Amino acid sequence: MIRLEKIHKSFGDHEVLKGISGDIPQGEVLAIVGPSGSGKSTLLRSINLLENPTAGKVYIDDICINEGKIDIKKIRTKVGMVFQQFNLFPHMTSLQNVIYAPLKVKKLSFKKAEALGKTFLKKVGLSDKANTYPPLLSGGQKQRVAIARALAMEPEAILFDEPTSALDPEMVKEVLSVMKELAHTGMTMVIVTHEMGFAREVADRIWFLDEGHLVEDSSSQKFFTSPNSARAKAFLEKVL
Amino acid sequence: MIFLDFERIWPSLPYILQGIPVTLSYTGVSLFLGFFWGAVLTFCKVGQIRVLQWAAGFYTSIFRGTPLLLQLILIYHATPQLTGYDISIWQAGILTFTLNSGAYVAEHIRGGINAVDKGQMEAALSLGIPYFMFMKDIILPQAIRNILPSLVNESIDLLKESALISVIGGADILRRANIVASEKYLYFEPLLVAGALYYILVMVLTFGARLLEKKLKTS
Repeated sequence: MIRLEKIHKSFGDHEVLKGISGDIPQGEVLAIVGPSGSGKSTLLRSINLLENPTAGKVYIDDICINEGKIDIKKIRTKVGMVFQQFNLFPHMTSLQNVIYAPLKVKKLSFKKAEALGKTFLKKVGLSDKANTYPPLLSGGQKQRVAIARALAMEPEAILFDEPTSALDPEMVKEVLSVMKELAHTGMTMVIVTHEMGFAREVADRIWFLDEGHLVEDSSSQKFFTSPNSARAKAFLEKVL
Repeated sequence: MIFLDFERIWPSLPYILQGIPVTLSYTGVSLFLGFFWGAVLTFCKVGQIRVLQWAAGFYTSIFRGTPLLLQLILIYHATPQLTGYDISIWQAGILTFTLNSGAYVAEHIRGGINAVDKGQMEAALSLGIPYFMFMKDIILPQAIRNILPSLVNESIDLLKESALISVIGGADILRRANIVASEKYLYFEPLLVAGALYYILVMVLTFGARLLEKKLKTS
């Protein structure tokens, strides 16, 4: 459902992505891994055009979204996103955070949106925090609310930008287990992560990025047991 | 006391006190209107339309770069000359103070908006929330929280500056004190009363601001 064609991205003179192509079919869980500065986050953020590629094409459901007149807002409702820093709206309760976009963007009735919001808060195990404001939640709870917020738009895919990197170690697990559950429901997921154990266990496929190139695109099993490239081998030796 | 003779102005005290609602109305109405005008200016400044950005910037620099008294006299005297409309003292005062405080409030609001975390923007974009709704429902409520203390300071400034209205004949606290002074040939006492009234009003506002800040910190 997501297709990338020769994506390039430069910030000034610095080229971060050097022509990346690939396909992410419906229902696949893809983990993007690689050393810091390899362009993982930039690539992920190109998928919903939070970063506009300098060259190349991004297709969602066979529609090129970075060319011509495309209602990018509509595309973004199809592709949710979860951020490293959660980015919850601090002046709204958990429930309000979750139902704001369904109410105002999808224009659901309040009753419907509220029911939806409660369902998804329950899914991430936070029914009891519906009326709590984000500053009073732990990091793990915040990230779970953020996942519920993305889910409430009933997107076709969700992008995760290092969802556990800002968390205290003891809170990583609760977030990963919510994501694992989500993976089992058949949601298309693209995850930039440093959690190799999680990638190995949950992802169907791994993209290994290095210096702006997609160096390796293999099944999770193959990547972690016998990677093709020397660079991936060296990387795995360092992190595992 | 030999030098101070409050007894002679005692009968005129109610007359001076009637200036309080006048002063407060100039302050309150201008602050209220100035806030909305400032919000409009801010949207021009942070928006993506070049011409509006430039116009709002130029506007602000004019109103911050010239004396308020000059703006007031100019609006009061130039409006009838230019448009033929006979502007009242009250209208001229409200108009000047609103236009002027809008320029300052716009700077405060812009600061408040810039202080809101950039991640909010990305979250809103990723949910497909349109720019206007994002500004209104997500950025402004957070920004207003950030700028409440500076808005109170703005209201204190405005309260004191509103005394300028007496120059064009507005019957505020200062003007009334002046009238009493020239009636009785006594200057020190009525002006002292006026000064005390301004001081008390400012202290009440300051105290309110402290309470507000405390409440914001705890919630």
